[in-house]
Amino acid sequence: MVTSGTIHYLLTLLNIPIHIRDICVFLAPFFSGLTALATYFLTKELSSDAAGLFAACFMALVPGYTSRSVAGSYDNEGIAIFALMFTYFLWVKAVKTGTILWATLTALAYFYMVSAWGGYVFIINLIPLHVFVLLLMGRFSHRIYIAYSTFYVLGTLLSMQIPFVGFQPLRTSEHMASAGVFLLLQACAFLKYIQGYLSKSEMKLVFFLGLVVVGGAGPQCQEHQPTTWFSFFFDLHALVITFPVGLWYCIKNINDERVFIVLYAISAVYFAGVMVRLMLPLTPVVCVLSAIAFSNIFQFYLQEDENGTKPAVSTDSDSDDSPASNKNLYDKAGKVRKIKVSPTNREDPGLGSNIRSIVMVLLVMILMMFTVHCTWVTSNAYSSPSIVLASYANDGSRVILDDFREAYYWLSQNTAPDARVMSWWDYGYQIQGMANRTTLVDNNTWNNSHIALVGKAMASNESAAYTIMRALDVDYVLVIFGGVIGYSGDDINKFLWMVRIAEGEHPKDIRESDYFTDRGEFRVDDQGSPTLLNSLMYKLSYYRFGELQTDYRVPAGFDRTRNMEIGNKHIKLEHLEEAYTTEHWLVRIFRVKSPGNRPRIPYANRSIRSRKVFITKKVSTHFYLGR
Amino acid sequence: MIIMEADGTALKWAESSVNKDQRSYQRYDITLNGPLSAGSSRHMVVHTVLTKYLRPYPSHVSQTQKQLVVYEDSHVVPTVHPCRQQQTSVVLPSPSSVESYSRNLKPAAHSDDTITYGPYENIAPYSYDKMLVHYENNRPFLAVTRMERDVEVSHWGVISVEEKINMEHVGASLNGPFSRYDYQQQRGEGASVRSWRTVLPASAADVYYRDDIGNISTSHLRTHVDSVEVELRPRFPLFGGWKTFYTLGYTVPTYEYLYTSGENYILRMRFVDHVFDDSIIDDAYVRIILPEGSRLQEFMLLKLFYDEQRPLLKVRFSTSNASQNVFWSCRDILVKLPYGATRLPDQVHYTYLDTMGRPVVALHKSNLVEQHIAEMEVHYKFDSILLLQEPLLVVAALYLLFLAVVVYVRLDFTISPDPQREGKLRAAGLSAQCRDTQDRRTELYTRWEAAIAKLRATKDAGAFQTSLRNLGAEHRTLTQNMTDLAAKLKAESAAPEILDKVQEIQKLDKQLKEQLQLQGSQLEKLVASKLSKQQYLEQDTVVAKRKEELAARLSSLTFQL
Repeated sequence: MVTSGTIHYLLTLLNIPIHIRDICVFLAPFFSGLTALATYFLTKELSSDAAGLFAACFMALVPGYTSRSVAGSYDNEGIAIFALMFTYFLWVKAVKTGTILWATLTALAYFYMVSAWGGYVFIINLIPLHVFVLLLMGRFSHRIYIAYSTFYVLGTLLSMQIPFVGFQPLRTSEHMASAGVFLLLQACAFLKYIQGYLSKSEMKLVFFLGLVVVGGAGPQCQEHQPTTWFSFFFDLHALVITFPVGLWYCIKNINDERVFIVLYAISAVYFAGVMVRLMLPLTPVVCVLSAIAFSNIFQFYLQEDENGTKPAVSTDSDSDDSPASNKNLYDKAGKVRKIKVSPTNREDPGLGSNIRSIVMVLLVMILMMFTVHCTWVTSNAYSSPSIVLASYANDGSRVILDDFREAYYWLSQNTAPDARVMSWWDYGYQIQGMANRTTLVDNNTWNNSHIALVGKAMASNESAAYTIMRALDVDYVLVIFGGVIGYSGDDINKFLWMVRIAEGEHPKDIRESDYFTDRGEFRVDDQGSPTLLNSLMYKLSYYRFGELQTDYRVPAGFDRTRNMEIGNKHIKLEHLEEAYTTEHWLVRIFRVKSPGNRPRIPYANRSIRSRKVFITKKVSTHFYLGR
Repeated sequence: MIIMEADGTALKWAESSVNKDQRSYQRYDITLNGPLSAGSSRHMVVHTVLTKYLRPYPSHVSQTQKQLVVYEDSHVVPTVHPCRQQQTSVVLPSPSSVESYSRNLKPAAHSDDTITYGPYENIAPYSYDKMLVHYENNRPFLAVTRMERDVEVSHWGVISVEEKINMEHVGASLNGPFSRYDYQQQRGEGASVRSWRTVLPASAADVYYRDDIGNISTSHLRTHVDSVEVELRPRFPLFGGWKTFYTLGYTVPTYEYLYTSGENYILRMRFVDHVFDDSIIDDAYVRIILPEGSRLQEFMLLKLFYDEQRPLLKVRFSTSNASQNVFWSCRDILVKLPYGATRLPDQVHYTYLDTMGRPVVALHKSNLVEQHIAEMEVHYKFDSILLLQEPLLVVAALYLLFLAVVVYVRLDFTISPDPQREGKLRAAGLSAQCRDTQDRRTELYTRWEAAIAKLRATKDAGAFQTSLRNLGAEHRTLTQNMTDLAAKLKAESAAPEILDKVQEIQKLDKQLKEQLQLQGSQLEKLVASKLSKQQYLEQDTVVAKRKEELAARLSSLTFQL
């Protein structure tokens, strides 16, 4: 990426010897720090700096974002969220001030976002939507006109410089909304200018024409896996219930820039509900709005304390019921506002110190639980490297299973540099990165037939697979086998996917039903289907495993992952040979033998017939004549 | 690698090559320690270390096969002089099975782990008789094919050593499959290498063992009295023909290896260090990175010893041949080696906070064995004042940063002035001055109180009047200041609430002063006996209470300013 390259260049310029890999590892945490800063500034613009601090803290902790920002997760998205928040901050600033400077900066930040992530479409739809809603609300002003015109023109021109985007802003429907709003805004400004010359009915006509243009374009979203409630709670915890409060605060006390955050929140919630991946753009806005909510509530309750006044209680009696606290907070917040409107009125019924302290304790407890949850999620779900498996022995000592790196390093050191490795696509990037060898398919393979071909080779019997592998120039085959240590993410468990994908492209050769028993079970023991027991994947995974006794209590060849004794214990390989197997059998690498240059004849049958001498002679004569 | 010694002292020798009977020999002319008189004898030992001399035969083995090697030599040592009696013993690494050995020159006997040829009588000069020993050898046939050793000297406390090592198993190559099952059943280990031990200096700390893809988790560190021992296990066992690469690094304290006298420094370290027992290193590249600013001058003897290829410069190792030690001096950096090596062009190394880079002395030597582990010396000059360069650089950078911030904050960079904001700033400045003035007035009142207390104690009315005059004058000046400030604030009109407060302060202050004056005059009356004690006490209590109230309000107002 350009960013890490630039950082590396700058550091090298300052004579700081750091490997580009280390920069890549720490890029995500570094940018998440910047994201927290950007969130602070955005929230500060929207509400107060106290809320900004809350937002930055939430942003730093929330699992929905730490999933992309742990050290080593070198992904576009970590940077993109920073770019997103920073663009929004600059946009809010531009709307507030109405200066070309801020609008230009917004366009630059947008350019950075476009170069970083395809999710920039979200920005280019949300900002026009904001402008459009402001127009509908009759909040048109020259500040908005300046901000949006500058941003749109510069932003579109800059984004077209990215090769990936090209002329899309002019062609695709995702960008039409922004163009429509741009035209509408020009029209609006023009209308304002000539308002005096036109009657009201004509104005309306023009206005609706503009509406039609904009209404045609709406954000389209591909159907992906929808988000479950569990993942909402898992990624956001308490914020998921406090953020509507913040939203309400914003709506209650609306101004130009708060319209923006409200629109952002509503659209992000919608998209996150549709598709689990879009949880990511939702996370910052949830942090911002929850921060506003917490900040306002805290401000109110703590301010009362400082002034030392003793307001009487007016809340409902059920405010002590802690389980429904979020609901109560919502109600209470409403009353809070009324009090704040007339703070000088001492006669106004206030809150008792007991109620206040109970609410404070509750809020602090929610925050503490949030922190505990975030720490737990981050340490358990998001920060264990998938490449090194750690387990604990009975005496508490840590056992590290480093089999993946063992195999990849063996590949990198002891195979020809141009060797081609066939494996399921999951390990493509790892093999390329760590072993520096060519793979047939990897995590970014879009060609489905290619993946299907590899799946077909894995699902066929050995001789059929050998034909495919010869055609694909395969030198080594790599399979992941967890049967010895009980690792469940191995290739046998993924095998049905290979079969299904292969069936999709080669329905004549591969049928999923062949791999099931008569009763429709997927079994690797002796009741399993013969097709499965003779497939390449099965043979490679269990080659010589039938002799190995992992435990005294179980028979030899007992698969710990599937808790079965394997069905085919005497596997003979004809066209492949074991090249390397790691210490815990987790990764097995097989070498594809080159074909023998003639059929092998047993020694007893070898005899020279006189006729053959003839042929040899002929050939040699021919040879001399040719000279 | 050849060492020649007699009675424990090394001998000088010269080398040349000779062709005799279509066979080429290396001839060594040895100079004895003293003259050898007629009839006397001298005992002499010649050690020769040969690398890559054992040939695996067969050259490819399967995993379960044993590794067999062939040793080829002459049954008798070809000498220049006629030899009266010779005996050759071949000592095998273990009492292992001997596949075959040449028996064409009798007597030849094999017992346990030794094959003895001879004794042979009356051997002519340059006689050669081919000897072959074919036997099982499962000792690790490891070789370091390339080693890069970086020694980075820091005067701040540590010398960091990093060795990048390419390791290869040079025994019989593994033919066919590698079966983990056989390996685990300990049937198929063959001549594979699971791990080896590297001995580091006793003071070695912060040892790391890693490769291109990160830390290698299979290593153990043991600390002994005189060394640190690392058991290095590569990620995978090494079979014949298999390779691996790793980086081993550690630090040692500078004071153990660096000797100094004024600005002259001598670094005394090993050229190469232990990798594993009986190790061979095909190519060693040693780089010594000296501190930045190690002084450089004209190079002196460098040219003479630049190239190992030139025969004049080919200097062989000898333990006591002081005259053959190599001296190099390049721009005040002098390298003394125990044996010849090629000096590569100097390099410049940049690391943290470097401006002009660190001078690097780069050396190369091929075909090293364990006996080459010996100390070299690097002499250089270094101004100790340069030690401060890097901290000062940081200080200067931070200073500039802060200076820039100061300039940015203090100067006005706006193109169009914002009168409202400036007015507010001015008002804030004025209010700060007001607060200051009020603080001084408060301090004045404390003195006033002290004067009253003194009057109460001493009953000296004259002195009290004097101090009262002084205090009054001072108070007038301060009050005038305050009035001026209030006027300025009024002119500013940016902060009416501040003005209100200042006016309030003025009013309260006036009252407070009146109270103080009243208190003083009452006390005077008491002193002059114009007032009864009872009356005085009553009035004084009232006044004191009022004063307290006023002071409290004033301080809270001032605080709010």
